[in-house]
Amino acid sequence: MNAFANKVSDKLGEQLMLKQALALTLEKIINKALNLNINDSVELKSLNEKRVTIILDELNSPLSFSVYQQQILVTSFTEYSDCTIITSLKTLKELQKNQQLTELIKQDKLDITGDIKLAQQFANVAQNLTIDWQTELAKHIGDFATYKLTRFGKTLVDKIKFLKNQVQADSSEYIVHEQKLVITKNQLNDFNQQVNNVSEQAEQLMLRLATIEKQLNK
Amino acid sequence: MSTPESSNNQDNSTHFGFKTVDKTAKASMVADVFHSVAKQYDIMNDLMSFGVHRLWKRFTIDASGVRPGNKVLDLAGGTGDLTAKFSKLVGKDGKVILADINSSMLNVGRDKLRDKGLVQNIEYVQANAESLPFDDNTFDIITIAFGLRNVTDKDKALSSMYRVLKPGGRLLVLEFSKPEHELLNKAYDFYSFNILPKMGELVAKDGDSYQYLAESIRMHPDQETLKAMMENAGFEQTSYHNLTGGVVALHKGYKF
Repeated sequence: MNAFANKVSDKLGEQLMLKQALALTLEKIINKALNLNINDSVELKSLNEKRVTIILDELNSPLSFSVYQQQILVTSFTEYSDCTIITSLKTLKELQKNQQLTELIKQDKLDITGDIKLAQQFANVAQNLTIDWQTELAKHIGDFATYKLTRFGKTLVDKIKFLKNQVQADSSEYIVHEQKLVITKNQLNDFNQQVNNVSEQAEQLMLRLATIEKQLNK
Repeated sequence: MSTPESSNNQDNSTHFGFKTVDKTAKASMVADVFHSVAKQYDIMNDLMSFGVHRLWKRFTIDASGVRPGNKVLDLAGGTGDLTAKFSKLVGKDGKVILADINSSMLNVGRDKLRDKGLVQNIEYVQANAESLPFDDNTFDIITIAFGLRNVTDKDKALSSMYRVLKPGGRLLVLEFSKPEHELLNKAYDFYSFNILPKMGELVAKDGDSYQYLAESIRMHPDQETLKAMMENAGFEQTSYHNLTGGVVALHKGYKF
Protein backbone atom coordinates (compact mmCIF):
# COMPACT_ATOMS: atom_id res chain seq x y z
CA MET A 1 0.00 0.00 0.00
CA ASN A 2 2.86 2.33 0.93
CA ALA A 3 4.73 1.50 -2.26
CA PHE A 4 1.59 2.29 -4.25
CA ALA A 5 1.13 5.62 -2.42
CA ASN A 6 4.78 6.50 -3.06
CA LYS A 7 4.42 5.64 -6.74
CA VAL A 8 1.30 7.80 -7.04
CA SER A 9 2.98 10.66 -5.19
CA ASP A 10 6.11 10.41 -7.40
CA LYS A 11 3.97 10.41 -10.53
CA LEU A 12 1.96 13.39 -9.29
CA GLY A 13 5.15 15.22 -8.35
CA GLU A 14 6.55 14.62 -11.83
CA GLN A 15 3.32 15.75 -13.50
CA LEU A 16 3.23 18.94 -11.45
CA MET A 17 6.99 19.36 -11.87
CA LEU A 18 7.51 20.03 -8.17
CA LYS A 19 11.27 19.48 -8.49
CA GLN A 20 11.46 22.13 -11.17
CA ALA A 21 9.28 24.51 -9.14
CA LEU A 22 11.54 24.04 -6.13
CA ALA A 23 14.66 24.58 -8.25
CA LEU A 24 13.17 27.72 -9.79
CA THR A 25 12.27 29.16 -6.38
CA LEU A 26 15.65 28.33 -4.86
CA GLU A 27 17.46 29.81 -7.83
CA LYS A 28 15.54 33.07 -7.53
CA ILE A 29 16.16 33.32 -3.77
CA ILE A 30 19.87 32.48 -4.01
CA ASN A 31 20.58 34.91 -6.83
CA LYS A 32 18.59 37.66 -5.13
CA ALA A 33 20.65 37.08 -1.98
CA LEU A 34 23.87 37.18 -4.04
CA ASN A 35 22.77 40.47 -5.60
CA LEU A 36 22.09 41.98 -2.19
CA ASN A 37 25.29 40.70 -0.61
CA ILE A 38 27.60 43.42 0.77
CA ASN A 39 30.42 41.15 1.92
CA ASP A 40 33.32 41.47 -0.53
CA SER A 41 34.87 38.22 0.64
CA VAL A 42 32.05 36.32 -1.03
CA GLU A 43 33.27 35.54 -4.53
CA LEU A 44 32.20 32.90 -7.00
CA LYS A 45 35.10 33.25 -9.46
CA SER A 46 36.94 30.17 -8.21
CA LEU A 47 33.71 28.18 -8.50
CA ASN A 48 32.94 29.27 -12.05
CA GLU A 49 31.49 26.43 -14.17
CA LYS A 50 31.62 24.04 -11.21
CA ARG A 51 28.67 21.95 -10.16
CA VAL A 52 27.82 20.59 -6.72
CA THR A 53 24.90 18.19 -6.34
CA ILE A 54 23.11 17.53 -3.06
CA ILE A 55 20.85 14.52 -2.71
CA LEU A 56 18.77 14.92 0.46
CA ASP A 57 16.97 11.94 1.99
CA GLU A 58 13.94 14.11 2.65
CA LEU A 59 13.60 15.31 -0.95
CA ASN A 60 14.21 12.08 -2.83
CA SER A 61 15.57 14.18 -5.68
CA PRO A 62 18.92 15.82 -6.44
CA LEU A 63 19.54 19.56 -6.40
CA SER A 64 22.47 20.69 -8.51
CA PHE A 65 24.09 24.08 -8.02
CA SER A 66 26.10 25.28 -11.03
CA VAL A 67 28.03 28.53 -11.00
CA TYR A 68 28.10 30.76 -14.04
CA GLN A 69 29.96 34.02 -13.50
CA GLN A 70 28.13 35.73 -10.63
CA GLN A 71 25.03 33.54 -10.77
CA ILE A 72 24.04 30.16 -9.40
CA LEU A 73 21.82 27.91 -11.47
CA VAL A 74 19.73 25.33 -9.68
CA THR A 75 18.74 22.20 -11.61
CA SER A 76 17.82 18.59 -10.91
CA PHE A 77 20.71 17.02 -12.81
CA THR A 78 21.80 13.55 -11.86
CA GLU A 79 24.22 12.76 -14.62
CA TYR A 80 27.26 14.93 -14.02
CA SER A 81 28.67 16.79 -11.05
CA ASP A 82 32.07 17.87 -9.71
CA CYS A 83 30.98 16.94 -6.20
CA THR A 84 27.96 14.92 -5.06
CA ILE A 85 26.80 14.93 -1.45
CA ILE A 86 24.26 12.37 -0.25
CA THR A 87 22.88 13.27 3.16
CA SER A 88 19.87 14.56 5.10
CA LEU A 89 18.80 18.08 6.09
CA LYS A 90 19.68 17.36 9.74
CA THR A 91 23.20 16.22 8.85
CA LEU A 92 23.66 19.19 6.55
CA LYS A 93 23.34 21.49 9.57
CA GLU A 94 26.04 19.52 11.39
CA LEU A 95 28.27 19.73 8.31
CA GLN A 96 28.86 23.42 8.97
CA LYS A 97 31.35 22.36 11.61
CA ASN A 98 34.37 21.13 9.63
CA GLN A 99 35.62 18.80 12.33
CA GLN A 100 32.35 16.83 12.11
CA LEU A 101 32.98 15.77 8.51
CA THR A 102 34.99 12.58 9.10
CA GLU A 103 32.77 11.58 11.98
CA LEU A 104 29.61 11.95 9.87
CA ILE A 105 31.11 9.91 7.03
CA LYS A 106 32.08 7.18 9.51
CA GLN A 107 28.53 7.15 10.86
CA ASP A 108 27.18 6.71 7.28
CA LYS A 109 25.24 9.94 7.63
CA LEU A 110 27.15 11.50 4.77
CA ASP A 111 28.49 10.26 1.46
CA ILE A 112 30.67 12.50 -0.67
CA THR A 113 31.87 11.77 -4.21
CA GLY A 114 34.21 14.14 -6.04
CA ASP A 115 36.04 17.26 -4.93
CA ILE A 116 35.17 17.87 -1.28
CA LYS A 117 36.80 21.32 -1.32
CA LEU A 118 34.09 22.51 -3.70
CA ALA A 119 31.40 21.62 -1.19
CA GLN A 120 33.26 23.58 1.49
CA GLN A 121 33.67 26.57 -0.84
CA PHE A 122 29.93 26.54 -1.55
CA ALA A 123 29.23 26.32 2.18
CA ASN A 124 31.56 29.29 2.80
CA VAL A 125 29.70 31.37 0.24
CA ALA A 126 26.41 30.61 1.98
CA GLN A 127 27.82 31.38 5.44
CA ASN A 128 29.50 34.64 4.46
CA LEU A 129 26.58 36.18 2.62
CA THR A 130 25.75 39.45 4.34
CA ILE A 131 22.68 41.50 3.48
CA ASP A 132 22.04 44.99 4.76
CA TRP A 133 18.32 44.47 5.34
CA GLN A 134 17.76 48.00 6.67
CA THR A 135 19.11 49.64 3.52
CA GLU A 136 17.13 47.28 1.31
CA LEU A 137 13.94 47.85 3.29
CA ALA A 138 14.43 51.63 3.25
CA LYS A 139 14.46 51.55 -0.55
CA HIS A 140 10.89 50.28 -0.47
CA ILE A 141 9.25 51.88 2.55
CA GLY A 142 11.47 54.87 3.34
CA ASP A 143 14.01 55.67 6.10
CA PHE A 144 11.56 56.66 8.85
CA ALA A 145 9.32 53.61 8.48
CA THR A 146 12.40 51.37 8.31
CA TYR A 147 13.79 52.93 11.50
CA LYS A 148 10.48 52.44 13.33
CA LEU A 149 10.06 48.92 12.01
CA THR A 150 13.63 47.97 12.90
CA ARG A 151 13.25 49.36 16.42
CA PHE A 152 9.97 47.54 16.85
CA GLY A 153 11.58 44.34 15.57
CA LYS A 154 14.54 44.75 17.94
CA THR A 155 12.23 45.36 20.92
CA LEU A 156 10.15 42.35 19.94
CA VAL A 157 13.22 40.14 19.65
CA ASP A 158 14.53 41.39 23.02
CA LYS A 159 11.17 40.71 24.65
CA ILE A 160 10.97 37.23 23.18
CA LYS A 161 14.52 36.56 24.41
CA PHE A 162 13.64 37.86 27.87
CA LEU A 163 10.47 35.78 27.94
CA LYS A 164 12.38 32.69 26.84
CA ASN A 165 15.04 33.21 29.53
CA GLN A 166 12.35 33.87 32.13
CA VAL A 167 10.47 30.72 31.27
CA GLN A 168 13.72 28.74 31.40
CA ALA A 169 14.67 30.24 34.77
CA ASP A 170 11.20 29.65 36.22
CA SER A 171 11.19 26.10 34.98
CA SER A 172 14.60 25.41 36.53
CA GLU A 173 13.51 26.94 39.84
CA TYR A 174 10.26 25.02 39.81
CA ILE A 175 12.08 21.76 39.17
CA VAL A 176 14.66 22.45 41.92
CA HIS A 177 12.01 23.27 44.54
CA GLU A 178 9.58 20.56 43.55
CA GLN A 179 12.39 18.03 43.61
CA LYS A 180 12.72 18.52 47.34
CA LEU A 181 9.05 17.72 47.89
CA VAL A 182 8.81 14.78 45.59
CA ILE A 183 9.37 11.45 47.40
CA THR A 184 12.03 9.08 46.12
CA LYS A 185 11.49 5.46 45.14
CA ASN A 186 13.31 4.26 48.28
CA GLN A 187 11.07 6.39 50.47
CA LEU A 188 8.03 4.94 48.78
CA ASN A 189 9.32 1.38 49.22
CA ASP A 190 10.07 2.11 52.88
CA PHE A 191 6.58 3.51 53.37
CA ASN A 192 5.04 0.43 51.71
CA GLN A 193 7.11 -1.82 53.97
CA GLN A 194 5.94 0.05 57.07
CA VAL A 195 2.30 -0.23 55.99
CA ASN A 196 2.80 -3.99 55.47
CA ASN A 197 4.35 -4.30 58.95
CA VAL A 198 1.47 -2.41 60.58
CA SER A 199 -1.11 -4.59 58.82
CA GLU A 200 0.74 -7.76 59.89
CA GLN A 201 0.82 -6.48 63.49
CA ALA A 202 -2.89 -5.60 63.31
CA GLU A 203 -3.71 -9.12 62.07
CA GLN A 204 -1.69 -10.68 64.92
CA LEU A 205 -3.44 -8.44 67.42
CA MET A 206 -6.84 -9.49 66.06
CA LEU A 207 -5.86 -13.14 66.43
CA ARG A 208 -4.77 -12.59 70.02
CA LEU A 209 -8.00 -10.72 70.82
CA ALA A 210 -10.00 -13.57 69.33
CA THR A 211 -8.09 -16.09 71.47
CA ILE A 212 -8.60 -14.04 74.66
CA GLU A 213 -12.31 -13.66 73.85
CA LYS A 214 -12.65 -17.44 73.46
CA GLN A 215 -10.88 -18.07 76.83
CA LEU A 216 -13.15 -15.55 78.62
CA ASN A 217 -16.29 -17.18 77.20
CA LYS A 218 -15.23 -20.55 78.63
CA MET B 1 0.52 3.79 -38.80
CA SER B 2 -1.66 6.64 -40.02
CA THR B 3 -0.81 9.97 -38.51
CA PRO B 4 -1.98 13.48 -39.23
CA GLU B 5 1.43 13.95 -40.77
CA SER B 6 1.98 10.75 -42.67
CA SER B 7 -1.52 10.71 -44.15
CA ASN B 8 -0.44 13.54 -46.39
CA ASN B 9 2.99 12.23 -47.30
CA GLN B 10 1.71 10.62 -50.49
CA ASP B 11 0.73 13.91 -52.10
CA ASN B 12 1.99 17.44 -51.90
CA SER B 13 -0.48 18.63 -49.32
CA THR B 14 -0.05 19.10 -45.58
CA HIS B 15 -1.89 20.63 -42.68
CA PHE B 16 -1.85 24.23 -41.61
CA GLY B 17 -3.94 23.95 -38.48
CA PHE B 18 -7.19 22.32 -39.64
CA LYS B 19 -6.70 23.54 -43.21
CA THR B 20 -5.11 21.40 -45.90
CA VAL B 21 -2.55 23.41 -47.83
CA ASP B 22 0.18 22.83 -50.38
CA LYS B 23 3.45 21.70 -48.76
CA THR B 24 5.35 24.52 -50.39
CA ALA B 25 2.96 27.07 -48.90
CA LYS B 26 3.04 25.93 -45.27
CA ALA B 27 6.47 27.31 -44.38
CA SER B 28 5.57 30.82 -45.47
CA MET B 29 2.16 30.63 -43.75
CA VAL B 30 3.80 29.54 -40.49
CA ALA B 31 6.39 32.27 -40.99
CA ASP B 32 3.60 34.86 -41.24
CA VAL B 33 2.15 33.62 -37.94
CA PHE B 34 5.46 33.98 -36.14
CA HIS B 35 6.38 37.30 -37.75
CA SER B 36 3.07 38.51 -36.36
CA VAL B 37 3.45 37.20 -32.80
CA ALA B 38 7.23 37.49 -32.30
CA LYS B 39 7.19 40.69 -30.22
CA GLN B 40 4.46 39.49 -27.87
CA TYR B 41 5.63 35.87 -27.84
CA ASP B 42 7.06 35.77 -24.30
CA ILE B 43 4.13 37.61 -22.71
CA MET B 44 1.67 35.36 -24.51
CA ASN B 45 3.57 32.24 -23.40
CA ASP B 46 3.30 33.33 -19.79
CA LEU B 47 -0.37 34.21 -20.14
CA MET B 48 -1.42 31.12 -22.08
CA SER B 49 0.40 28.62 -19.89
CA PHE B 50 -0.02 30.55 -16.62
CA GLY B 51 3.79 30.57 -16.41
CA VAL B 52 4.03 26.77 -16.46
CA HIS B 53 6.06 26.86 -19.71
CA ARG B 54 9.03 27.84 -17.54
CA LEU B 55 8.72 24.57 -15.64
CA TRP B 56 8.29 22.56 -18.86
CA LYS B 57 11.51 24.12 -20.15
CA ARG B 58 13.30 23.46 -16.87
CA PHE B 59 12.22 19.84 -17.10
CA THR B 60 13.81 19.74 -20.56
CA ILE B 61 17.07 21.23 -19.25
CA ASP B 62 17.09 18.68 -16.42
CA ALA B 63 16.61 15.86 -18.92
CA SER B 64 19.41 17.13 -21.17
CA GLY B 65 22.28 16.19 -18.84
CA VAL B 66 24.19 19.15 -20.29
CA ARG B 67 27.70 19.74 -18.99
CA PRO B 68 30.42 22.36 -19.46
CA GLY B 69 31.99 22.17 -22.91
CA ASN B 70 28.94 20.69 -24.65
CA LYS B 71 27.74 21.89 -28.04
CA VAL B 72 23.97 22.42 -28.05
CA LEU B 73 21.56 23.17 -30.88
CA ASP B 74 18.38 24.92 -29.71
CA LEU B 75 16.25 24.39 -32.78
CA ALA B 76 13.19 26.57 -33.34
CA GLY B 77 14.65 28.31 -30.30
CA GLY B 78 12.52 31.39 -30.82
CA THR B 79 13.05 33.91 -28.10
CA GLY B 80 15.87 31.93 -26.54
CA ASP B 81 14.57 30.70 -23.17
CA LEU B 82 16.40 27.38 -23.45
CA THR B 83 19.45 28.97 -25.06
CA ALA B 84 19.84 31.32 -22.08
CA LYS B 85 20.00 28.42 -19.64
CA PHE B 86 22.18 26.23 -21.86
CA SER B 87 24.60 29.10 -22.45
CA LYS B 88 25.26 29.32 -18.70
CA LEU B 89 25.53 25.57 -18.26
CA VAL B 90 27.94 24.83 -21.13
CA GLY B 91 30.27 27.63 -20.05
CA LYS B 92 33.01 29.33 -22.03
CA ASP B 93 34.28 26.12 -23.63
CA GLY B 94 30.84 25.13 -24.84
CA LYS B 95 28.63 26.56 -27.55
CA VAL B 96 24.92 27.05 -28.08
CA ILE B 97 23.43 27.60 -31.51
CA LEU B 98 20.06 29.29 -31.44
CA ALA B 99 18.42 28.34 -34.73
CA ASP B 100 15.03 29.38 -36.02
CA ILE B 101 13.52 29.52 -39.48
CA ASN B 102 11.86 32.80 -38.63
CA SER B 103 14.00 35.94 -38.71
CA SER B 104 11.63 37.95 -36.50
CA MET B 105 11.77 35.36 -33.73
CA LEU B 106 15.53 35.13 -34.08
CA ASN B 107 15.88 38.92 -33.79
CA VAL B 108 13.70 39.04 -30.67
CA GLY B 109 15.73 36.17 -29.18
CA ARG B 110 19.06 37.78 -30.03
CA ASP B 111 18.05 41.13 -28.52
CA LYS B 112 16.76 39.46 -25.36
CA LEU B 113 19.88 37.36 -24.81
CA ARG B 114 22.22 40.26 -25.49
CA ASP B 115 20.28 42.37 -23.01
CA LYS B 116 20.92 39.65 -20.47
CA GLY B 117 24.65 39.86 -21.18
CA LEU B 118 24.75 36.44 -22.82
CA VAL B 119 27.09 36.92 -25.76
CA GLN B 120 30.24 34.86 -25.46
CA ASN B 121 29.12 31.37 -26.44
CA ILE B 122 25.92 31.84 -28.47
CA GLU B 123 25.59 31.83 -32.24
CA TYR B 124 22.44 32.65 -34.19
CA VAL B 125 21.51 30.76 -37.33
CA GLN B 126 18.43 31.13 -39.48
CA ALA B 127 17.81 27.55 -40.52
CA ASN B 128 15.13 25.19 -41.72
CA ALA B 129 14.89 22.11 -39.47
CA GLU B 130 14.35 19.92 -42.53
CA SER B 131 17.79 20.66 -43.94
CA LEU B 132 20.09 21.79 -41.16
CA PRO B 133 23.17 23.65 -42.35
CA PHE B 134 25.62 21.85 -40.07
CA ASP B 135 28.17 19.07 -40.52
CA ASP B 136 27.35 15.50 -39.55
CA ASN B 137 27.94 14.58 -35.88
CA THR B 138 28.24 18.17 -34.62
CA PHE B 139 26.05 18.46 -31.51
CA ASP B 140 25.96 16.78 -28.11
CA ILE B 141 22.39 17.86 -27.50
CA ILE B 142 19.58 19.06 -29.76
CA THR B 143 16.39 20.53 -28.36
CA ILE B 144 13.29 21.61 -30.21
CA ALA B 145 10.70 23.17 -27.94
CA PHE B 146 7.23 23.93 -29.30
CA GLY B 147 8.62 23.98 -32.81
CA LEU B 148 8.24 20.55 -34.37
CA ARG B 149 4.50 20.86 -34.97
CA ASN B 150 5.15 23.85 -37.24
CA VAL B 151 7.60 21.95 -39.42
CA THR B 152 6.16 20.89 -42.76
CA ASP B 153 7.95 17.55 -43.09
CA LYS B 154 8.58 16.27 -39.58
CA ASP B 155 10.17 13.00 -40.70
CA LYS B 156 12.69 14.88 -42.79
CA ALA B 157 13.41 17.23 -39.89
CA LEU B 158 13.99 14.34 -37.47
CA SER B 159 16.38 12.70 -39.95
CA SER B 160 18.23 15.97 -40.33
CA MET B 161 18.54 16.28 -36.54
CA TYR B 162 19.79 12.70 -36.35
CA ARG B 163 22.46 13.48 -38.93
CA VAL B 164 23.91 16.49 -37.08
CA LEU B 165 23.80 14.83 -33.65
CA LYS B 166 27.03 13.26 -32.39
CA PRO B 167 27.01 9.54 -31.56
CA GLY B 168 26.03 9.40 -27.88
CA GLY B 169 24.13 12.66 -28.25
CA ARG B 170 20.50 13.12 -27.41
CA LEU B 171 17.47 14.80 -28.94
CA LEU B 172 14.80 16.37 -26.74
CA VAL B 173 11.47 17.28 -28.27
CA LEU B 174 9.22 19.38 -26.05
CA GLU B 175 5.83 19.75 -27.66
CA PHE B 176 2.13 20.00 -26.97
CA SER B 177 0.59 16.56 -26.98
CA LYS B 178 -2.54 14.61 -26.10
CA PRO B 179 -3.91 14.90 -22.52
CA GLU B 180 -4.10 11.53 -20.77
CA HIS B 181 -7.61 11.94 -19.34
CA GLU B 182 -10.79 12.60 -21.26
CA LEU B 183 -12.04 15.24 -18.83
CA LEU B 184 -8.79 17.19 -19.07
CA ASN B 185 -8.93 16.80 -22.84
CA LYS B 186 -12.36 18.42 -22.95
CA ALA B 187 -11.37 21.27 -20.65
CA TYR B 188 -8.21 21.78 -22.70
CA ASP B 189 -10.23 21.85 -25.94
CA PHE B 190 -12.58 24.45 -24.52
CA TYR B 191 -9.64 26.57 -23.36
CA SER B 192 -7.77 26.23 -26.64
CA PHE B 193 -10.62 27.08 -28.99
CA ASN B 194 -12.59 29.56 -26.91
CA ILE B 195 -10.22 31.38 -24.59
CA LEU B 196 -6.83 31.21 -26.31
CA PRO B 197 -7.78 33.00 -29.57
CA LYS B 198 -9.54 35.72 -27.54
CA MET B 199 -6.43 36.16 -25.40
CA GLY B 200 -4.39 36.42 -28.60
CA GLU B 201 -6.79 39.00 -29.97
CA LEU B 202 -6.64 41.02 -26.78
CA VAL B 203 -2.89 40.94 -26.06
CA ALA B 204 -1.15 40.28 -29.38
CA LYS B 205 -3.96 41.80 -31.49
CA ASP B 206 -3.90 38.60 -33.53
CA GLY B 207 -6.62 36.06 -32.79
CA ASP B 208 -6.04 34.12 -36.04
CA SER B 209 -2.48 33.19 -35.13
CA TYR B 210 -3.61 31.77 -31.82
CA GLN B 211 -6.47 29.95 -33.51
CA TYR B 212 -3.77 28.36 -35.69
CA LEU B 213 -1.79 27.51 -32.55
CA ALA B 214 -4.76 25.60 -31.10
CA GLU B 215 -5.45 23.82 -34.39
CA SER B 216 -1.81 22.91 -34.98
CA ILE B 217 -1.64 21.32 -31.51
CA ARG B 218 -4.61 19.08 -32.36
CA MET B 219 -3.03 18.05 -35.65
CA HIS B 220 0.32 17.22 -34.07
CA PRO B 221 1.14 13.51 -33.65
CA ASP B 222 0.32 12.06 -30.22
CA GLN B 223 2.96 10.70 -27.82
CA GLU B 224 3.26 7.19 -29.23
CA THR B 225 3.18 8.34 -32.85
CA LEU B 226 5.96 10.86 -32.33
CA LYS B 227 8.02 8.24 -30.49
CA ALA B 228 7.62 5.91 -33.48
CA MET B 229 8.62 8.72 -35.84
CA MET B 230 11.79 9.29 -33.83
CA GLU B 231 12.59 5.59 -34.00
CA ASN B 232 12.01 5.62 -37.75
CA ALA B 233 14.52 8.46 -38.02
CA GLY B 234 17.12 6.28 -36.30
CA PHE B 235 16.91 7.40 -32.68
CA GLU B 236 17.36 4.72 -30.03
CA GLN B 237 16.23 4.32 -26.42
CA THR B 238 13.36 6.66 -27.18
CA SER B 239 11.01 7.57 -24.36
CA TYR B 240 8.59 10.30 -23.37
CA HIS B 241 7.37 11.99 -20.20
CA ASN B 242 3.91 13.46 -20.03
CA LEU B 243 3.83 16.81 -18.28
CA THR B 244 0.73 18.52 -16.86
CA GLY B 245 -1.42 15.50 -17.63
CA GLY B 246 -0.09 15.09 -21.16
CA VAL B 247 -0.89 18.63 -22.29
CA VAL B 248 2.83 18.69 -23.06
CA ALA B 249 5.21 15.77 -23.57
CA LEU B 250 8.98 15.63 -23.57
CA HIS B 251 10.33 13.03 -25.99
CA LYS B 252 13.90 11.86 -25.66
CA GLY B 253 16.00 9.80 -28.05
CA TYR B 254 19.67 8.96 -28.45
CA LYS B 255 21.96 8.47 -31.42
CA PHE B 256 24.43 5.63 -30.91
